[in-house]
Amino acid sequence: MIMVDHLSFSYTEKPFIQDMSFSVSEGEIFGFLGPSGAGKSTLQKILLGMLPNYQGSAVVNGTECKKHHPDFYESIGVDFEFSTMYEKLSARENLCFFSSLYHKQARPIDELLSVVGLENDADKRVSDYSKGMKSRLNFIKALLHDPALLFLDEPTSGLDPTNSRLMKDMILAEKNRGKTILLTTHNMQDATELCDRVAFIVGGQIFTLDSPHNLIMSRGAANVIYTWKENGEQTASCPLEQMSEDRQLQKLIAEKRLQSIHSSEPTLNDIFMEITGRTLV
Amino acid sequence: MRAIRLSFFHMLEVVKHDRMLAAALMSPVLAGTAIHFGVPFAEKMLIQVTGLPAVLTPYYGLFDIFFASLTPVMFCFIAAMVVLEEHDDHIDRYLFITGLGRNEYFVSRMLLPSLLAFLITVILLPVVKLTKLSGAEIVFLSLTGSLQGIIIALLIVTLSSNKLEGMAVTKLSSFIIFGAVVPFFVPAPIDLCAFFLPSFWMGKAVLERKPIVMMLSAFVAVMWILILKRKYERKM
Repeated sequence: MIMVDHLSFSYTEKPFIQDMSFSVSEGEIFGFLGPSGAGKSTLQKILLGMLPNYQGSAVVNGTECKKHHPDFYESIGVDFEFSTMYEKLSARENLCFFSSLYHKQARPIDELLSVVGLENDADKRVSDYSKGMKSRLNFIKALLHDPALLFLDEPTSGLDPTNSRLMKDMILAEKNRGKTILLTTHNMQDATELCDRVAFIVGGQIFTLDSPHNLIMSRGAANVIYTWKENGEQTASCPLEQMSEDRQLQKLIAEKRLQSIHSSEPTLNDIFMEITGRTLV
Repeated sequence: MRAIRLSFFHMLEVVKHDRMLAAALMSPVLAGTAIHFGVPFAEKMLIQVTGLPAVLTPYYGLFDIFFASLTPVMFCFIAAMVVLEEHDDHIDRYLFITGLGRNEYFVSRMLLPSLLAFLITVILLPVVKLTKLSGAEIVFLSLTGSLQGIIIALLIVTLSSNKLEGMAVTKLSSFIIFGAVVPFFVPAPIDLCAFFLPSFWMGKAVLERKPIVMMLSAFVAVMWILILKRKYERKM
């Protein structure tokens, strides 16, 4: 679906995107992770054909991005981080207009509105919507022409836990419908939960690219942390694979003095910091 | 072409929801009525009061030029306001990656309002005009007036970052239509100081009735548009 080969780009004389190569298969959720200014948005703009002055190759749906033709966008849907709606118009008026710009048969607007729970607010002005409602509306706008490829930029940014969960479920539902999804985020929790593979981007370069599971597993074993009462609360830990050899743990289990026990794997955030030496904020 | 048409009609829909912009759409008719009936009436009164044979009559050509400039200025101002709003709300960025696209967006927001203004001016100017303008002169004045409208819209969009600034820039950029006054009041060759304004050549053309001057006016306007279009592209 996407083939990027030795891609480089610069806004000034200083290189910004440097020699990037990766591919994204059909039906995959691929995450770009990196701090602000890492080059994620620039990469997205290149793949959307908005920045044609790049070197190397960036092919989306079989089309070189810098040479795209008008129907290039018929198979691409984009959900920007910010709302891109006419605030004075209703949700329905907005969706009707945006869907009219495509040649493809639009997905029924009422059906999409009811999927995101906005069917009763369809005729309300967008300016009266909450942030969560705007995010959901923005998301379904990207689905109007039923594109095969979705670009999602920080889809859960600023959402409360309920709306964030709803958004993630909608993304997974679209994946199940066979869509390829490119997710740009600096939320590691979302990336771990949603992405089949992630690329860590810092300073315009890909530092590593793998599935979240492989990245987590490749960076040391999980630890088991347990607590018990002995002159106040005591805590100890041991590697998961050496649990059966931990005499103290065995003794605490036998004496039924164990208060709590849980395993702790390194998070994607820990791995990102370890690999890139940077945090995501 | 379909996307351009839809985008243009959608802009009219957006204007419908904005009372200030919707009211601006009515201005050509109101100004036309005021010029056609008000100016000769004022002239009659002035002659009576001053006892002079003519007060405003020598400048009737100026009123025709202002009317030819008014509709494009108002229509392109409205379009520029919509563009600024779309830019503020990041909608333009979204439209560029739909079936509409960047160039088609420019056509629907800058060229079509100007074309519409041209058609309206061509229809209204023969009714409103105070001087004996030939058919070719009416077409020419409507055309250069419309090109001037594009210049003003591009100035508003490129020089302002939001609607509020846009309104301030509108007042400032509308001064370019006052270049038409120069040939009427400033003797040649000093009047050539305003050569860079298309409206100056509009004034000269109405005064001197030379086709070559009409061409110059359109040429200067096109130069302005080409320069401002580059600035517009950098901004958008």
